[in-house]
Amino acid sequence: MIRKAKGKRPTFFNDPQIDTVMGIVMALAGEVSVLRERLDTIERLAVAKGLFTQHDIEAYRPDEAVMAEREHWRTEYLERVLRVVHQELEEADKSETTESYQAAVRAVSS
Amino acid sequence: MNTQLPHDLLPTATHDELARQNFVQSLKVHLATKVSPGNKTIYEHKAAPRFAREHQRPPQDRHEVRSVMKDEPYYQMWSTLLRTSQEMMWDSVNVSVERQLPQLRERAATNGKTLGSLTLNPDLAIPAYHTAVDIHCQPGGYHTELGPDDVAAGATYDRAVYIYAMSRLGSLNDEMGQSVVLHLKEQHADFQPRRILDMGCTVGHSTLPYVDAYPEAEVFAVDVGAPVLRYGHARAEALGKRVHFSQQNAEQTNFEDGSFDLIVSHILLHETSSQAIRNIMKECHRLLRPGGMMLHQEVPQYEGMPPYEAFILDWDTYNNNEPFWGTVHSIDLQKLAEESGFAAQSVVQTMIPSALERTQARTKKFQGGDFGGGGAWFVFGAAK
Repeated sequence: MIRKAKGKRPTFFNDPQIDTVMGIVMALAGEVSVLRERLDTIERLAVAKGLFTQHDIEAYRPDEAVMAEREHWRTEYLERVLRVVHQELEEADKSETTESYQAAVRAVSS
Repeated sequence: MNTQLPHDLLPTATHDELARQNFVQSLKVHLATKVSPGNKTIYEHKAAPRFAREHQRPPQDRHEVRSVMKDEPYYQMWSTLLRTSQEMMWDSVNVSVERQLPQLRERAATNGKTLGSLTLNPDLAIPAYHTAVDIHCQPGGYHTELGPDDVAAGATYDRAVYIYAMSRLGSLNDEMGQSVVLHLKEQHADFQPRRILDMGCTVGHSTLPYVDAYPEAEVFAVDVGAPVLRYGHARAEALGKRVHFSQQNAEQTNFEDGSFDLIVSHILLHETSSQAIRNIMKECHRLLRPGGMMLHQEVPQYEGMPPYEAFILDWDTYNNNEPFWGTVHSIDLQKLAEESGFAAQSVVQTMIPSALERTQARTKKFQGGDFGGGGAWFVFGAAK
């Protein structure tokens, strides 16, 4: 799949880095929400099935394989959270500029 | 959120993919209902007075409103959040489509149902207004082929539109087609089209209501994008609807003169160009039989709109990869129809109510990022 939509990404703040930071913050907020939803599912299932209690969670210790799996997950997670940073680079690679976008507006409007 | 009607082609979501899509939808609703309206307050209390101090008069058009609003921190924050929500939306769907793409391609290619048909034209030139930038930030647009028999753009679009419209287009994303059908049934109760063409159909989500409304009619649908047509055809078959899809540019099709009683389009016009829209209108005139009718559904024209309302609706032109949005909503449609051969008195420009009752109660404001299912639609039409 293609990740970056063709066309210069607009920025709104006087310092465009703030737009980038907001992208990261919102991606992070999204992932917290995803996590919360999954946790909620698990806890509700656990209670419904009488599987484990809050105490069991506190007492859990992951083994080496579990730790490796979690490391892998965190790598993908960071890729997702820092998506907007990669996008800036992809845009530069494709030489997309505000001028080239405005040229597209002019081209269809003339 | 997860009430989109499932069918054979609709991509499914894992628990976390769905949670990610849920978040994007909640974020969009929050921005549209809780943050976007604040822009007007900022405009009235800060930006407009600032403009008046500098120019000794109020802003007169959307461009002057934009010239002062762009420096307002609140507007800057809303804008960056709205743009980000759009990118997160495509990303949240992209990931799940990519995971199941081989199965979706297989299912589209072998669904075994033959109610309607699909005719592709690999030699069709994709118009520059689709290749210059990816429309509304969908990576790859409608046309990019990721491999043989590709349906990725269609699968992505079907799911993303549902999220984009915050589910207000109904469980089959068919509220736009349904609303035009309702308008036809109410205003032209005796009109019984036998051949219907939907221009720029993408996945046929707006096409299918015509199959139900006019069961005796033959329904055709064209688009330039092969991946959306493959998906749309398989989707229509999965839902048991007979539609003949073909890969054609609405500016110049291969149908014979006078082929249709009814030609419709749904949010197509703003994704074309000044030259293309003229070609499309002339093509509509050529394709309609005498007594036939065209109806193009859109968001409202800027004319007569207060400068602030036009400004906020114009956000997509500059910030959501909709380069023709501002221009098309400023075009003299009466003149365009007349120049295309339609009689002046046959031209209609009107707002129509949403066919979905729960959507009718909405703002009808078409605030930036809130036009999907705003509660009403603009319709431009003419009869031959």
